[in-house]
Amino acid sequence: MRLQQRIWYVALVAAAVGVAAAIPWRASDYFVHVSVSVLYYVILASSWNLLAGYTGPFSLAHHAFAAFGGYTAALLVLRLAVPSIAAILVAAMLTAGVGLVLGFATLRMRAIYLAIATWAFAETFRLVIVAAYPITRGSVGLIVPPLFATRDPRPYYWIFLALSLLTLGAIWLLIRSRYGLYLQAVRDDEVRAESLGIDTTRWKIFGFALSSLLAGVAGACYGFYVSVLSPETIEFYEMGKIIVMVIIGGIGTFFGPVLGALIVQGLSEYFREFGQLRMLFFGVAVIILMRTYRQGSVALIRQLWARFYPPAKRLALRLRASQRAN
Amino acid sequence: MPSADLFLQYIVAGMMLGALYTVMALGITFIYSIMKMINWSMGEFYMIGSYLQYIFVIYVLGVKYWYLGVLVSAVSVFILGCILEPVVIRPMFGGFVERRTEYATVVTIALMLALRSAAYVLGGPYQRNPQTNLPRLTLGELTIPGERAVAFAGAIIAIALFYGFLRFTWFGLALRAAAQNRVAIQTAGVNIRRLDQLAFGIGVALAGVAGALLAPVFLVYPTNGAITTMKGFEIIIIAGLGSIPGALLGGLILGLVEALCSVLLSPGFQHAYGFLLVLALLLVRPYGLFGEREREV
Repeated sequence: MRLQQRIWYVALVAAAVGVAAAIPWRASDYFVHVSVSVLYYVILASSWNLLAGYTGPFSLAHHAFAAFGGYTAALLVLRLAVPSIAAILVAAMLTAGVGLVLGFATLRMRAIYLAIATWAFAETFRLVIVAAYPITRGSVGLIVPPLFATRDPRPYYWIFLALSLLTLGAIWLLIRSRYGLYLQAVRDDEVRAESLGIDTTRWKIFGFALSSLLAGVAGACYGFYVSVLSPETIEFYEMGKIIVMVIIGGIGTFFGPVLGALIVQGLSEYFREFGQLRMLFFGVAVIILMRTYRQGSVALIRQLWARFYPPAKRLALRLRASQRAN
Repeated sequence: MPSADLFLQYIVAGMMLGALYTVMALGITFIYSIMKMINWSMGEFYMIGSYLQYIFVIYVLGVKYWYLGVLVSAVSVFILGCILEPVVIRPMFGGFVERRTEYATVVTIALMLALRSAAYVLGGPYQRNPQTNLPRLTLGELTIPGERAVAFAGAIIAIALFYGFLRFTWFGLALRAAAQNRVAIQTAGVNIRRLDQLAFGIGVALAGVAGALLAPVFLVYPTNGAITTMKGFEIIIIAGLGSIPGALLGGLILGLVEALCSVLLSPGFQHAYGFLLVLALLLVRPYGLFGEREREV
């Protein structure tokens, strides 16, 4: 990347972060509240994309890991009177631990077993939460003490903004490091990666545990924000939402999940009165997208940019020419 | 220590449900062995089967002919599967799809969300109960609700029919061949696309049968397929993906373990024991009881 281009990128990202950080001063409580949920899904979608988009195997329990983090942190605070921050950290570690065990059990064989086992885990976890009424208060819902004395969503907004920037920064650094290249090599051609001396099983387990950890942190913090946890958050509907976000944004791209979370959560809030009809629409949209334009909206924006911005167009043409030469 | 009667009651009930979970697992494993993909929307076809059973029994046939309802539901789900496969799944085998597992996973999950939401929109979140006219059965000291016994019998018949179809018909032979080698069977002049359609239809029809049979037991609502699908997936991990005899044995084992743990430990966590069994098994034998010891990379 040329220096000039790099400066432009940094300026652009800094401006976006600045605008995002300034939102709470101008916007209504409701808008800030919706923004918090968007940021929560940005973390979940990005960390799921780290596994599914960059490493290869699928987890179908990402929502359950978030809920696991939430319930663990809340129970630590409620039953053992652990300070909130410590509870969040412990919850994150435990979530990663569950991810490690599940990953170790399934990823030594075909990657598809991970998807099946995580599905079973998510469903089992939901039923256990319902059944363990004396501890978790079952379907009634667990009341979580809030982090701050006020009901103002603004402090939470900044916490989630910082958290999602941290997550995105970590993923950005990881996928550009040697280890990120290992992960992508596993995704692209596992046999070849193995032949080049990469322990593919270990890196798959690593990717899974890391993405579970991020989900655990997000879930633990979100639990303190929404202040009531119920088994409904472990319905597969939530997982479907994360997948829809990643697909609509663009799987295997860095900004895809961010854009997807913004689009899907934004539309979901805007069309609130349509209820379940929204998910019907998203499901059909994803099926059509997978058939016609599976790269998602990030690739669409890139293509439009290349068409309407002449220098980029020239660059794209040059790229295509060089690809043809290969 | 619980009494012997209670013990027996739980074991019989566990085995009976195990047979129905096996039907579900057979559907999943059958579609996998032909098309090399997991159909994540199995539970939604179960749900459709149970809704159809409800509609046929309450509005069309009447409670007396509930067994016809099962048949009609199964055939309808089969037809629905045959219609949906070319639209949704077939592009997976087109030239432009790079990562097939990813495509199949995403598309069937999207299908699942769409079907589930459609059920909410059309029928609402209410739990419905299609009645049956069955009396309670008494076997010696045990009493078994009639609809459970009938569901068990229906599951056995469905499994027998499925087995007979695979074993004794030309299509069964073709399907078994396709499970072995998808390329070789095309050189023998078999249209693999048609076979895929048939396999998908049969697989989801098995889910539909389970749904129709269990409709009076577990009731009818938009997410009623979730638990049965989970059991199906657990059986598949126990058995190893693609193994039909393994699925039969796996269903038996799962039903037994759940029943025994419910009696000996606590019935409240009935649904959790299966997963613990799966986890324990995976740590010892990562490829399942009957799975091939290969790595698909």
